[in-house]
Amino acid sequence: MARTDSTGSTPDFDLDGQAAPLLEIDDLRVHFKTDHGVVKAVDGVSWHVDEGETLAIVGESGSGKSVSAMSILGLVPTPPATFPSGDIRLRGRSILKMPEKQQRKLRGQEIAMIFQDPLTALNPVFKVGDQIAEMIRTHQDVTKTVARRRVLDLLGEVGIPNPGVRINQYPHEFSGGMRQRAMIAMALANDPKVLLADEPTTALDVTIQAQIMALLEKLRQERNTAIVLITHDLGLVASHADRINVMYAGRIVEAGSCDDVFYRPQHAYTFGLLSSLARMDKQRQDRLLPIKGVPPSLSKVPPGCPFHPRCQFATQGCVEAVPTLETVVTDETMNGGLHRAACIHSDQVEIAYSERLAP
Amino acid sequence: MTTPPQSGREPDTHVPAEALMTRFEAPEPGAADATDTTGKGKKASGQLRDIWRRYKRNKLAVVGLVVVAFLMILAILQPWITPYDPMEQNLLNTRKPPSDGHWFGTDVLGRDMFSAIIYGVRLAMIVGWSVMFLSLIVGLALGAVAGFRGGALDSLIMRVTDIVLAFPALIGAILVVQIFGNGIWQVVIALAILSWPTAARLMRGSTLSLRESEYVEAARSIGASDTRIVTRHILPNAIAPTLIYSFSHIGVAVVAMASLAFLGIGVPPDIPEWGTMIANAVPSLNVEGESHMWVFPSLAIVVTTLAFAFVADGLRDSIDPKLR
Amino acid sequence: MAKFITRRLAHAVLVIIAATFLIYLGLFVLGDPFASSGEKTVPPEIQEALREKFGMNQPFFMQYLTYLQNMFTFDFGIDFEQRRDVGDMLAAAVPATARLAVIAILIEIVIGLTAGVIAAVSQYTFRDVFITIITTLGIGIPVFVIGIGLRAGLSGEWIFPAVPRSFTVETPWWQEIILPAFTLAILDAAFIARLMRGSMLEVLRADYVRTARAKGLSERKVIGKHAFRNSVIPVVTYTGVSLGVLLGGALITETIFEYQGLGFLLVRAIQQHNNPVIVPIVVFAVLTFVVLSTLVDILYAYLDPRIRLH
Ligand SMILES: Nc1ncnc2c1ncn2[C@@H]1O[C@H](COP(=O)(O)OP(=O)(O)OP(=O)(O)O)[C@@H](O)[C@H]1O
Ligand SMILES: [Mg+2]
Repeated sequence: MARTDSTGSTPDFDLDGQAAPLLEIDDLRVHFKTDHGVVKAVDGVSWHVDEGETLAIVGESGSGKSVSAMSILGLVPTPPATFPSGDIRLRGRSILKMPEKQQRKLRGQEIAMIFQDPLTALNPVFKVGDQIAEMIRTHQDVTKTVARRRVLDLLGEVGIPNPGVRINQYPHEFSGGMRQRAMIAMALANDPKVLLADEPTTALDVTIQAQIMALLEKLRQERNTAIVLITHDLGLVASHADRINVMYAGRIVEAGSCDDVFYRPQHAYTFGLLSSLARMDKQRQDRLLPIKGVPPSLSKVPPGCPFHPRCQFATQGCVEAVPTLETVVTDETMNGGLHRAACIHSDQVEIAYSERLAP
Repeated sequence: MTTPPQSGREPDTHVPAEALMTRFEAPEPGAADATDTTGKGKKASGQLRDIWRRYKRNKLAVVGLVVVAFLMILAILQPWITPYDPMEQNLLNTRKPPSDGHWFGTDVLGRDMFSAIIYGVRLAMIVGWSVMFLSLIVGLALGAVAGFRGGALDSLIMRVTDIVLAFPALIGAILVVQIFGNGIWQVVIALAILSWPTAARLMRGSTLSLRESEYVEAARSIGASDTRIVTRHILPNAIAPTLIYSFSHIGVAVVAMASLAFLGIGVPPDIPEWGTMIANAVPSLNVEGESHMWVFPSLAIVVTTLAFAFVADGLRDSIDPKLR
Repeated sequence: MAKFITRRLAHAVLVIIAATFLIYLGLFVLGDPFASSGEKTVPPEIQEALREKFGMNQPFFMQYLTYLQNMFTFDFGIDFEQRRDVGDMLAAAVPATARLAVIAILIEIVIGLTAGVIAAVSQYTFRDVFITIITTLGIGIPVFVIGIGLRAGLSGEWIFPAVPRSFTVETPWWQEIILPAFTLAILDAAFIARLMRGSMLEVLRADYVRTARAKGLSERKVIGKHAFRNSVIPVVTYTGVSLGVLLGGALITETIFEYQGLGFLLVRAIQQHNNPVIVPIVVFAVLTFVVLSTLVDILYAYLDPRIRLH
């Protein structure tokens, strides 16, 4: 196994801007100034997503997944947040540098988001139908009746029975799963190019989870929407994502195709995540190995590799310098440029994992 | 009438009270081990230090605290501070503007305004703190019983609070004073009668939510008695909103007494009380050279109520930093 | 919803019955309301007439019923002082008080909401700090100090009529009302501003406000529609209760400005032990207060659909 240095910029598109990715985040940093110091919620994150593609972002609670997604829509409150560096580009155009008014046009129109907690994401004092219609009428010059008809379609589309009744109800009259569907209907209302789905199924029971994921899948196929799927649930990722970003303590520690990350993890944290997962595709279950310890406080990230205090592979080298995200070159894979990891013990990790995988 | 006593009802309108209550609903996770009293004690002192650290950041609250302390000292030392007997009349020397002999001038009856105002401090402190303690004790006790016992007793206590709270505060106070007659202690009783229901409701609310909480369950499971559960586990955790309310009520009680006195109700007219002094000055309101008669007592009451309000604000913010 | 309203109304009726009973007990039973006291001597024939009217010669329960009946048929008897019909006195005072209350409420809503919203959306800026200081003063300074200050400083100047009134000059009602209305409005405006600021700040942190932003709505719509509609609910509650208090008579303010409303009447009646005037005003004040509180609860349920169900 060899590794090559990468320049840090994403190498899989032409720098002349011809093939600029649909949505691209570049070295984004989001820091919160709090009473207990600076919380580095997102600390130098880059990724991109293209049409019809599903990018998964996984990581433990508090690793900065939601914050990185919300900064795309300008939803991170400043203060307390600051943006020390970074750029967000839609089709090569910087969103952060756009005037506020243009940014607003993108929100809900080009980029829509399904929020983590459907129970509180809808306004309790307005009817669900009106809230969805508002999304439409903010961006399209249509009459109330047209919007209403569209809302009815949408509600049906996301599998809400009885749309004619539901459209006039208030959020508290919806169950959690129904609210999540309503949120999805709202997000889809303007046929966005990018859909940021922040744990769209966490609050739901398994059957509804499957339905919702099927819905997103259908959307991606029919409308070629790019989906950014944020989740803790590796099972969900395995069956739905094309590529995976693993986040830890505000940074991406490993990125690559689903196959690469699942079968040849290069980062000790990914290794830990996968080892703690029960696998359906294996006859004999290995002993599940939970990751020991708790995620670090983002205001006091350990020096060097932030994962080292919890890492079974850690050595002195891990404490001394922050490992950079570097391209992994392996024999098995052709798309070497896509698989990157920030771990100085990636060789050991891969060997350890293949031993676990072996029957 | 819109008087400050009415604003003292604020925790009783929907949202503030609920907000106040829910904020204390979730007990600290560490408090779950009900038997470990030493750990809890340490935790409590750590909490106190935290509260004080946050309190200090609010400069107005610190100023308020200093002023309150100063007022308390004045109140205690009043007999030795006042240059004149605050009751002593001198009909040959009435309505005199401030001078070397009478720093704040003299009033309609020739009494020394400075001495009268310092006496007023004493009166205000006595009344304010008495009302607070009375309503706090009654409110805590009845609120805890209502919340913990539930059932018929709870309904009874709550209906009583409903009825008391059906009276606009000043009207209610007037009614009680009408029944009990004039006098400072009658006023104290009247104000306490009107303020305990809110304290009781706050206390009941937090008791209710704590009753079902894990660590009370834990205490119950190891066989702690009801009394012990209430005094050891519920009171210390549920008391905060009620305490804050009662403390903020000191200023309200001071203003309420002054309001009654200003209207000539309850407070005997010969006692030097700020509201009475202002009422006595009403005929002089537009008279040149007699403004000292209403300006000084007004200042005294404003300084007092503001100081208590600042302290109350500071307490609320430092005990619950979220609501800033 | 209907069930909620019914229950709330039943509750209000019970509270009113209990409160009127207390008033009756306090003022009638615990002392002879018609006895001469202090310097005030009540003419025997009036004492007798009143005892008759209020059924004081009858058994206790009958007395109470008579009292209720008199209250609800607006038959209040004759006042001790000028031997006028108390009903007529009230008929003159109620509209004056109502006008004052409504105008004061309007002023405080406009000022309070504006200040509260501005403070909340510009949290931690100079504007917020400034508004917070002003509201703290407004809440901390007692009403009668504000009133006395306004009367000392402004009455008799410019458009503000002098107090005490000169009866030779006719003053239009709006001139008479302006100072008392502001006196009343200052405290409540400050209170509303603070309430609004607090609840707006809380609502601004809510997830659904974030959702509204994510829709691409303008900040104006986010604040003015989504945030405002939720955060104004406690203000509506407070204002309603406040109106309920004011409608019963603004005792202090009316007294300071000698404004001829219920409060002024009540204070004078108390000073003169004029019970036939005291009783109906106190009952009326309790009544308006309870009724308005009840209405506010119902309105609250209407404004917050989550409450409506139970
Ligand atoms: N407004 C804020 N002020 C201060 N810190 C914040 C704020 N918003 C988020 N954070 C912090 O940023 C960090 C990252 O939060 P984020 O919500 O992105 O985590 P997450 O990966 O989405 O976790 P989860 O899986 O629990 O949703 C957390 O430590 C959080 O405390
Ligand atoms: Mg999240």
